[in-house]
Amino acid sequence: MTFPMPDLLPAAPEILVLVMACVVLMFEAYAVRGQADRSEIVARPRVAGYVLTLLTLLAAAGLTAFTANGVSATTFSGMFVDDAMADLLKLMTYLAGIAAAIYSRQYLADRALMRGEYFALLLFAVLGMMVMISASHLLTLYLGLELLSLALYAMVALRRDDAVAVEAAMKYFVLGALASGLLLYGMSMLYGLTGTLELNKMAATLAGGVDNPVVLAFGLVFVVAGLGFKLGTAPFHMWVPDIYHGAPTAVTLFIGSAPKLAAFAFVIRLLADGLQPAHADWQQMLAVMAVLSLAIGNLAAIMQTNIKRMLAYSTIAHMGFLLLGVMTGELNGYGAALYYVVTYVIMSLGAFGLILHLARAGFEADALDDYKGLNSRAPWLAALMAILMLSMAGLPPFVGFYAKLTVLQALVGAGWIWLAVVAVLFSLVGAYYYLRVVKLMYFDTPHSHEPVLATPGDARLLLSVNGLGVLLLGLLPQPLLALCLEAMRLTYG
Amino acid sequence: MLSLAWVVLIPYLGAALVAGVAHLGRLYSAWAAGLTTLASLALLLPEAPATFAGQTLVQRLPWLPQAGLDLAFRLDGLALLFALLILGIGLLIILYARYYLSERDSMGRFYAYLMLFMGAMLGIVLSENVIQLLVFWELTSLASFLLISYWQHRADARNGARMALAVTGAGGLCLLAGFVLLGEIVGSYELSAILAAGEAIRAHPWYAPTLILILLGVFTKSAQFPFHFWLPHAMAAPTPVSAYLHSATMVKAGVFLLARLFPALSGTWEWSHIVGGAGLATLLVGATIALFKHDLKGLLAYSTVSHLGLITTLFGIGTPLAAVAGVFHIINHATFKAGLFMAAGIIDHECGTRDMRRINGLWKYMPYTGTLAMVAAAAMAGVPLVNGFLSKEMFFAEAVSFATQMRFGWLLPLAVTVAGVFAVAYSVRFIHDVFFNGDPVDLPRTPHEPPRWMKVPVEVLVVLCLLVGIFPALTVQPILSVAAGAVLQAPLPAFDLAIWHSFSPALGMSVVALAGGLAVYAGRRPLFALAERSRGRLDAQRLYHALLNGLFALAGGLTRALDAGSLQRLVLLFVLSAIGLGVVGFLGADTPLRGERALLPVDGVSLLAALGLIAAAAAAVLLHRQRLTALIITGAVGLVVSLIFVKFSAPDLALTQLSVEVVTVILLLLALYFLPQTSPAESSRARRARDGLIALVAGGGTAALAWAVLTRPYESIAGFFLERSLPEGGGRNVVNVILVDFRGFDTLGEITVLALAGIGIYAMLERLALPGPTQDAQGRPWNWDAHPAIMASLTRLLLPLALLTAVFILLRGHNLPGGGFIAGLVTAVALIMQYLANGVAWTHARLPANFHPVIGAGLALALATGLASWAFDHPFLTSTFGHVHWPVVGSIELASAMAFDLGVYLVVVGATLLILVHLGLMHGASHSVPSEAERG
Repeated sequence: MTFPMPDLLPAAPEILVLVMACVVLMFEAYAVRGQADRSEIVARPRVAGYVLTLLTLLAAAGLTAFTANGVSATTFSGMFVDDAMADLLKLMTYLAGIAAAIYSRQYLADRALMRGEYFALLLFAVLGMMVMISASHLLTLYLGLELLSLALYAMVALRRDDAVAVEAAMKYFVLGALASGLLLYGMSMLYGLTGTLELNKMAATLAGGVDNPVVLAFGLVFVVAGLGFKLGTAPFHMWVPDIYHGAPTAVTLFIGSAPKLAAFAFVIRLLADGLQPAHADWQQMLAVMAVLSLAIGNLAAIMQTNIKRMLAYSTIAHMGFLLLGVMTGELNGYGAALYYVVTYVIMSLGAFGLILHLARAGFEADALDDYKGLNSRAPWLAALMAILMLSMAGLPPFVGFYAKLTVLQALVGAGWIWLAVVAVLFSLVGAYYYLRVVKLMYFDTPHSHEPVLATPGDARLLLSVNGLGVLLLGLLPQPLLALCLEAMRLTYG
Repeated sequence: MLSLAWVVLIPYLGAALVAGVAHLGRLYSAWAAGLTTLASLALLLPEAPATFAGQTLVQRLPWLPQAGLDLAFRLDGLALLFALLILGIGLLIILYARYYLSERDSMGRFYAYLMLFMGAMLGIVLSENVIQLLVFWELTSLASFLLISYWQHRADARNGARMALAVTGAGGLCLLAGFVLLGEIVGSYELSAILAAGEAIRAHPWYAPTLILILLGVFTKSAQFPFHFWLPHAMAAPTPVSAYLHSATMVKAGVFLLARLFPALSGTWEWSHIVGGAGLATLLVGATIALFKHDLKGLLAYSTVSHLGLITTLFGIGTPLAAVAGVFHIINHATFKAGLFMAAGIIDHECGTRDMRRINGLWKYMPYTGTLAMVAAAAMAGVPLVNGFLSKEMFFAEAVSFATQMRFGWLLPLAVTVAGVFAVAYSVRFIHDVFFNGDPVDLPRTPHEPPRWMKVPVEVLVVLCLLVGIFPALTVQPILSVAAGAVLQAPLPAFDLAIWHSFSPALGMSVVALAGGLAVYAGRRPLFALAERSRGRLDAQRLYHALLNGLFALAGGLTRALDAGSLQRLVLLFVLSAIGLGVVGFLGADTPLRGERALLPVDGVSLLAALGLIAAAAAAVLLHRQRLTALIITGAVGLVVSLIFVKFSAPDLALTQLSVEVVTVILLLLALYFLPQTSPAESSRARRARDGLIALVAGGGTAALAWAVLTRPYESIAGFFLERSLPEGGGRNVVNVILVDFRGFDTLGEITVLALAGIGIYAMLERLALPGPTQDAQGRPWNWDAHPAIMASLTRLLLPLALLTAVFILLRGHNLPGGGFIAGLVTAVALIMQYLANGVAWTHARLPANFHPVIGAGLALALATGLASWAFDHPFLTSTFGHVHWPVVGSIELASAMAFDLGVYLVVVGATLLILVHLGLMHGASHSVPSEAERG
């Protein structure tokens, strides 16, 4: 049988990342293992994986930017698509990966985790996200999702002698497997209904009307439930706090950032691309999930004493907000949601980066009380954290405000007044716990007066750029928003 | 060109400058702040003549067009008035604060915050775009938070600042929602468009929610009832801050917005009732409480609340003349209240306390300050010849004319008069208690007149009060006219700013208020006693705290209910959600569950297999606490499944399933090594029953879904492959042809993944030894003979047989059931058996322990087969079919795909062994039998 060679150019970044992930893994297994005994291996942080990872992500970014032309290119028999939205999201994913690597280096070295495994898993996770982002077929979507999930499960359990982390990984795995099951169930129903796994064709078939609404309803329900889990929205949010809390902060930082981009792509590809004709059906479900997420996320965050857990609940609320943009089912809403997720990832990277920055060997800096009086110990870090928290709360002139504003505009534009009002009300509740962090840092007396340890210059610099970027993107919101809306318009306009 | 943008920007630059020069010395900050304020003013003033000529200046800069947001600034009469108030009073405050702040306070920080606040405030009044206005609005909340909490070491300052931020920030978010709605109604966020679209806005169905959301923002900012409670707590701020924020700026932002949107929103039933009602309530509540405050600044704070209520009431009345009066009172209140706060600050500064029960008889110590305070207090009370009188008179007149239009209208003049009575009473108290009324009661310091320049700002303001009060037409008329014109966006009504009109009801009310106020003050003692008894009962702050507590309780309950951290709980929630969703999905549709496809007949074999599956599954559930037993039973399930594959004529799948099952069981056995034999029963019987029920429902649901899908017709892709397998792939075994040919590329990927998985596990487990138990639950060692001789001999005998079978399966794979994958698994299982039966050391002595070359060779072979096709000018992996012509033997049908299959075989063997051996080696016991090597 003649084997038609697929056009590999649209997938060039994916291929690069795959190859490099394998290289990092092999490097870890062979190049380093052979020479020293175990105790020495553990004690000495190895930078080869780190450097290779950074170079890979930079090269992938170069490739993606080089091939980005705003035109949709499909390959692998319609299973893989490279379009403007994919390019934008992938670039953000690389950025998040790079930031995660730089922020995490010191933390990992302090905990004897600075090994190739972390970086190989990180690259595999990035690859999974890239596949999800570019999927135009249910199989590709699922493939990317599982690649990402499996890498994340392992990353959570990276500190295998830490009972909390292992428990978190266990929970993540069990629940994740259940969710994947639901998702597959839903997908198989959709396949049974439409006879295709290709998202475009599925949309075309559905637009022609279906004779089995019961199957469609089941399929939708399970697919949306699976989506909800991956996105971390209520009522499928239960894994989020435990995993954010239990995982090593370096991993939490990663889980809390880039996968949100992929999950967004997942939602858009599946709902806006494949199931657009069933918009009226899934809209209701998303609305319910969004409101529940806003409520549970914001309310439960108030009660947390651990900042990672608090940010976990805040993520739930943010993802609820994101769903509000998607549920409008309009181009504007999708664009607003894209802008929201991109800005959220930037803020989340900064916040967790700061936690990492404050942590040192034997001290995680993840209790809210650890932030008491930070201003008197490290005024610059406190100022950065304050910027990030205020931005997450959605206060101007920070970028979080514009993200909320564009989503609200899209929502009102689609006629969903009551949802907009609910969203605003819960944002009010949300503002409380973000401001509490600011209050702790500025008004309370610190437990200890020891100065914050000096961390690598690159992480410090990146942190400053990250925090100030949130301010700068707020002062000049135009370019990023234009980019997001344009990418959406080019992709689905 | 963009002078207005610079007017707003300069204070921000000033903030940076102030902070920058702070280390040079205390006075540099003050000078820097003053000079930047003057610079801003200097840029503003050249635009003023055009504004007085009635023009509206709009400057814009594209900024965020996607969100309908240009950076647009607007200068009309109202904006000019407010900008002048902000900058003018700001200058006085800067001068005053320089003397007020003590040596210990950081000047740089204070002035930097002040400039930030000033910039935000200017931004509000000069914005053309409402979203931009909102940005500045929230910035004032943030800046005021910093200012109020300036004395961070004081708990009351921190709490006051937080409360102010919580209330005004929350209001700001509501305002945002209101503005977004407004923008949707009008189609633009620009004030020019909004102000022109009043008719459309009022007729729109969204009018009511829009109005309420916007008013929530206004009321919280302007401390209107029932949100007034934050303002008195904000008095913990340094007095210059109070004088600035609570006279001319922060709280005025709310009424500014009322005035701004007056043409767009006013004139409806909702407007007059909500705005007027809230204003009137605030007016009364503020005036009454003010009288009973012993704290000097507390009295002024509640009087501010009351006066804001007055202004709100005027806008609520909604007539053009009332709006003019509202603007007029904004001006007057700003001047006299700033003066009063500064006077209070001087007194506080000189006496060291603000308690009016202790500060008495200051007239002897500071008569000059006393005189200034008296004039300002007269303005607050509404005494003729001072500015407060004029606007209050207009207010009374409007109340009376409004009263004639409504049924219970007479209540309004009555309420207003009562408020007037209290206003006079607290003004009198302010003067009489502080400056007369006996002697001071043990003051911390001996008071005397303040430094010369500290009085200047108060003097300026008091002179303004008098000038406006005596010569209104000459002084305030022009700016009032343009400002009121901008508010109304229509020709001004006729109004006359004279001190004496005629004998009117308003004059009568003034007289009653003055006389009544004096009377109330004279009889204050029983009233004070009454207030003391009812203290804390009428405090809206309690509402705020109750709300917060309620929120906490709700959040706590929710967290306890949902955030238990137990996996079982989470899975329960998850499964229940899934069941719920399924039920919803089923109820939502009205088609039957069963499809239209004809059912197959039930035969004995299928029935037996099904029963076997059910029995095995049930046994696994019942015996799951005995791990080993459960594992064996699960293995049985796998075997039955492979039998089902045989039944449905898929011997390939059956073989694969069989070998995979064996490998999986071994894998799990290796894991069980580290676990206790049995797991304890931790949950109660009732809970297990509940869980069983849920599991049954979920399983039933899954079965129902499978039923629904399987009974519907669908077209399988089998036909495609059956047709093309032989002609295009050169093999009769479709499954194998798919693996090595049709989807050869996938298979190449799969074995790569398998190899990587093996290497990954190797990298992770290398040199890792875990302490596993070496004895069972009763304390008996696992085995005293780890490698029994019979077992060892038998497996050694089995090895060549198994290898032979593997080769057979590999070779026949292309046409008959078999193939590299299955052969690889069979080989791997056979070799693993050697490890199990003879131990690692014995096996390694005879078998190369390094599997990496095997994996590498397999991958290389598979890849080479693919690449070889390039040599024949075919695309990658294509030539893996066909007939090879051997010169001597002749033509043999030998698919080149077999080479590929061999690669698959090698990778599978290598990776499986690598994984299993290293998992096995993880257990300490695997290393601890050195004598194994000697055993033959």
